[in-house]
This record gives sequence, structure tokens and C-alpha cells, in this order.
Amino acid sequence: MCTKRAAAARDHHAEKTMPEEVTIRIEGLWKRYGFPIPEFVRRGVDRLKRRKSADNDGPWALRDINLEIRRGETVGIVGRNGAGKSTLLKVLAGVTTPTRGRVEVLGRIFPMIELNAGLHMELTGRENVRLLGAVMGLSRREIDAGLPGIQEFTELGEWFDKPVRMYSSGMLARLGFGVAVNIESDVILIDETFAVGDLKFQNKSLARVREMRESGATILLVSHSLETLQFVARRGILVEEGRLVAEGTALEAINAYETLVFRSEQKRLEHRVRSRISSEEVNIYAARLYSEDGESLFEVPAGSPFGIEVDIRLNRPLRRPMFSLGILNAQGILCKWNISEEDGLKEKGIPGRYLLRAWYPENRLSNGAYEVHFAARDATSFETLERIAGIVSFAVTGTRRARGIVAGKIQWQLIPHKDRHS
Amino acid sequence: MSRGVYVNATAKGRTSERFLSLLWALVVRDVTSRYRRSSLGMWWAVLQPLILMLLFNMLRGFVDIPSDGMPYVLFSYSALVPWTFFTNAISSCGPCIINNAEIIKKIALPREVFPLAAVVATLFDFAMSSIVLACMMVWFNVPVGRSLLWIPVLVCIMTVAAFAVGSLLAGLGTFRRDFTFATPFLTQAWLFVTPVIYPLSTVPEKWRYVYMLNPMVGIVEGFRNVLIKGAGPPWEPLVMSVAITGLLLAVCRPLFRRLSEYFADVL
Repeated sequence: MCTKRAAAARDHHAEKTMPEEVTIRIEGLWKRYGFPIPEFVRRGVDRLKRRKSADNDGPWALRDINLEIRRGETVGIVGRNGAGKSTLLKVLAGVTTPTRGRVEVLGRIFPMIELNAGLHMELTGRENVRLLGAVMGLSRREIDAGLPGIQEFTELGEWFDKPVRMYSSGMLARLGFGVAVNIESDVILIDETFAVGDLKFQNKSLARVREMRESGATILLVSHSLETLQFVARRGILVEEGRLVAEGTALEAINAYETLVFRSEQKRLEHRVRSRISSEEVNIYAARLYSEDGESLFEVPAGSPFGIEVDIRLNRPLRRPMFSLGILNAQGILCKWNISEEDGLKEKGIPGRYLLRAWYPENRLSNGAYEVHFAARDATSFETLERIAGIVSFAVTGTRRARGIVAGKIQWQLIPHKDRHS
Repeated sequence: MSRGVYVNATAKGRTSERFLSLLWALVVRDVTSRYRRSSLGMWWAVLQPLILMLLFNMLRGFVDIPSDGMPYVLFSYSALVPWTFFTNAISSCGPCIINNAEIIKKIALPREVFPLAAVVATLFDFAMSSIVLACMMVWFNVPVGRSLLWIPVLVCIMTVAAFAVGSLLAGLGTFRRDFTFATPFLTQAWLFVTPVIYPLSTVPEKWRYVYMLNPMVGIVEGFRNVLIKGAGPPWEPLVMSVAITGLLLAVCRPLFRRLSEYFADVL
């Protein structure tokens, strides 16, 4: 990833011949929430309560973050819930103080974090715009100058002079966003704000963000919508458990994030036999995934074939043994389901121990975590001998984004219509 | 373990302008929204000291309280106007950080602006009740003179004292709500050690210096002297007031600043 990053930086350099200034510099940033109680006070309290001192003020929200962001960069921050993305933005915004380390921000910084912070329900839209403007650091003259533009942007019409408590939630969000996007700023922090309003308003907001990017503002963006991130951000960083674990282009960061999510989902699915119907007639000892050369697999590369192997023992003779394998994704959707008899397995079931192997020559599963359901039946009586949900689990990983359930490129064509002007 | 550092290098020149416009916006919000949806509206500002005054007058019906030879109505009301300001100001400071949690959690701004706005917004109520006081002075034919020039000075000291105490309560109250709950008891107790119901002259001579450690003594006595006695404020209490107010500010402000860095963490 490092070489790619360097390449990205070169591209960036070619794009802007101006010398690149560092707008944000973070050195060894650690953050723990809460008021830091001085050592002597803690020792005193410990002595009073007669307990051993333990350095546990709560977990670190950020651990040793080092980051430099240059002017004009758009950086997407990805990570799971509670990974520390929002904390990072808060520290950058100066809302909360770093516990250790050094954070330097050059220029006016403006957080677009949940924009209707500080709206007062009894005041009208116009009065609230004045208030929000002041809260966001505008002087009165700047507010007066910006007010018509904001009024137009919000598209509230006559509602602009009505008390905010009468607004719908979409109108509220539009009001907040209207103020936010009309503020000129050097560094902009965006946290989950694109979900406001209807599609038209969202597009307008995105266009405004692009405009700010073009005018040379540095943008840091946290969003759960990976589409938005990929669209807006050029650079990406991945935060996990308060650490910066990967950085590169936005796409690289998103891929790293998805791999992380799939792996952890797989861990969750692992060994979690959800339901098991069992008779004494069949024993299952183990199950695994294997590759072409027979090695065990825990992660399947996207598009490459794999097999599922079940170590099984039949305890009574079966005239027509019938096995089925279902592959479900993390949402519980059945993506693939095969029955041995339909696929041509005609072996008779003489009592004994077997390795049941199922080979998947065409792997069209898109990136994600999967679990396997297995059942063994007797086809003559159709009785279920053994059924295990979650016998084995695995992740499919790859560099392409996961979209939909089935992977694979398709062929696109844009064909001009015969009558172009119709 | 060294503390973390946050540096934001912006143009310094315009920060004070921004601070003032933010303060003004918050004050306008507080004042305009406070009495919206109430029938009596701004009259509440007048009613509060008026009712207390009537209560004190009833009390005087049973207990003999000297009033330095002035009509007791005027005597008590002239002290109640600054006193009501002080109690309302510090009690509105208490929850001001919690009430503005949405802003504080999201946007970096100087946090002193919130208790300051609460205090300044209370000044509007003070102005309202002062109008009633002026009417009473006309009614009782109180002679006024150049001593009225002291009023801005007294208002300044009073505002600073309220801000110092208020910001301390706001800062501590954000971490432990106990401070907010204790505020009404604090103001009630404070009322008894302030010459509002009774004049300063009833306080025994040997206790007077201890008594004057209360910064409100100089302010309340000052208002009374200036308004209805046509004299300057008494020197000793005034000097003590200024000194103690300065001390309070010197202690409370850095404390509030230190506490305010962690507001966003606990809200």
C-alpha cells in the first residue's frame, strides 16, 4: 500500500503545482474521555477507599495517531462503530482536548457535525440562522451578508420566518446545513451529514462540498455511506480500536475496512452452531474449507474456487444418502444451495467414516462473510438425520468493492439511438 | 505524563469580534425565548422582586426591622432589585452548560460565553425591575442627584461578581449535578448574610469586617445609598466588594477554563 500511497502523492503533486502546505499535523495523539484526575488525588482516594491503585480511567478512544494532511486534500475516515472516527474529528475541531500528544491545525476549522446543534425551538428560522451563524464563528456583519444566500439555499420559503418547532425534521436539517455550507472555511469536518433532506437536496449538498474542495478547502469526512466516501474523498484512512491501521487512496481504505468487517463477521459466525437437529445415526466430526491444493482455507480470495469438506460417520446403512449444503451471507440470505443427489452423487451409504467433499469450481460470491448450513437426509424415507446451521464459516475478500450478492463484471454498452434527437 | 496540546493558528484579530457577536446572539436568544409562550411575559421580571418585597413588608408587621429612617417599601425594594439579579444570574448559570450541550459537544468556542450570556441576559430583567424602582422613587419623592453616576460602576461590579460565582457553579455543576441542586440553598443562605431585609447598621461592629467578605454587601448597600439616600456608596464595603470580586474572578476563571476543556467529554 505504501508504494501506491507514494504514487497517489505524486499524482496529487502533479495536479497542483503549488507547494503543499500541511494544514493538519497530528503527532502521537492519545485520547481518553473524562476529566484527568491528578495522581495525588487518585492516590488519596485509593487510600481512603483502601484499594489498590489501578490505572483504569476507562479505555483509550484514540491511541498514538500520527497523521499529516495537506491543504486541499479530501480524506475519508472509515472504521467500525466506536473505532474512534468521531473522536478524531472532535479533537481536530477543538471540542475536546487531547490527553497526550500534539494536534496542530492551520486555518479556520469548521465542523459540520450534526448541523442543527443549538437550534432553539421557539425562535424562527431567520433568528436561528443568526444564532447558528454566531455559534459557528461568524461575526454579525458576515451573517448579515450571508443571510440571503442561506435563505435561498434552504428553500424554506415562507417557513423561514416561522418558529422552528413547526418544522419537519427534513426542514430542520436543511436549515442547519444551509448555514454550514455557506461558511467559508479552510478545513471542513463532515460527520454523517449527507443523509439529510431529499435526493435533490443531497445532490445540492454534495455539489457544494465539491465546490469547497475545488476552492482549496481541506475536507475530512466520516460517513457510513461508502459510496459517498468514494465519491468525495481521494485519500482514505482506516481507524480500528483507536489506532490508525491503514491508509492510502479512498478505495484502498474502503477495501481494508470491508475486509476487516468481513473477518470480524466471520469470527462471529465461527463455531456458532445455531441449531442442530441430530439423530444417533450420523456423527459429524469436523468441517473445513480447502483450496485447490487441499490446504485448509479461512478466507477465500474473490473469484477463486474452493471446496467444503465434512468429516462424517454413517451409523446405519442408507439406500440413498442425500446431503445438502447451503451458503448464507451475513444478512442471512441464502446465496447458494446444492443437493448432492441433484448434482449427481449416487453413492450408497454403507456404515463407516467418510470425508464428504463438495467442490465449487465457479465462485461468484461477492466479498463478505458467509456461513455454511449442512444437512444429511435419507432420500428414500426423506427423514432428516442431521442438520447443522453454521457448520463452518468463511470470508470472501478481494480488492473490488462488494456490491450485491453475486460478483462478476458485466459488459456495458452505450449505443446511440438511430434517431438521436427523439 | 505530559498533557496533550491543541493548537489552532487562526487570525487572532477577529476573535474578539466573533466572541461579542456570539455573546450577543446567545443573549438575544435567551431574552427573546425566555418569555415566549408565557402570558405575563416580561412582567415576570418585575413580579419576582415585587412579591418578595411584599413578603418582607408582611414580615416587618411582626418583627421590628430598622430601615435607616426610610419607607421600608423603598428600603427593601432598592436592595431587592440588585439581589434578585444576583440570584437569578447565578442560578441561570448553573445549568447553562448542560442546556447548551448540543453546541458544546460539536463546535469549539470559548465556553465562558455561556455563563456570561446567562448573566447578561439577566441584566434585561434587572433593567425591567429598575423601571418599577424608578416609578417608586418618583412616587415617594426621593431626591436624586449626582450620586446616580455611581450606578454603572455598581452594575459592573455586580455583573462581574455574578459571572465569577456563576461560572464556578456552571463548571462544577457540569461534572456533578449536586452543585446545581445546591444553588437554591446557597442563594437563600446568602440572602441572610446580605443586608437586604435589614440595614448594614444592625450588624454588630465586631463582626462587620467578616460580614463584608460577602461581596454583595458593598453592592447592595451601595445601591441603597446611591438611590434613596442621595449619597455615594459606603467606602469600606465597596472596596471590600471590589477586592473580593477580583479575587473570585481570579480563582474562578482559570478553574472554569480548565474544567471547560472536558465539558464535551461528560455531556
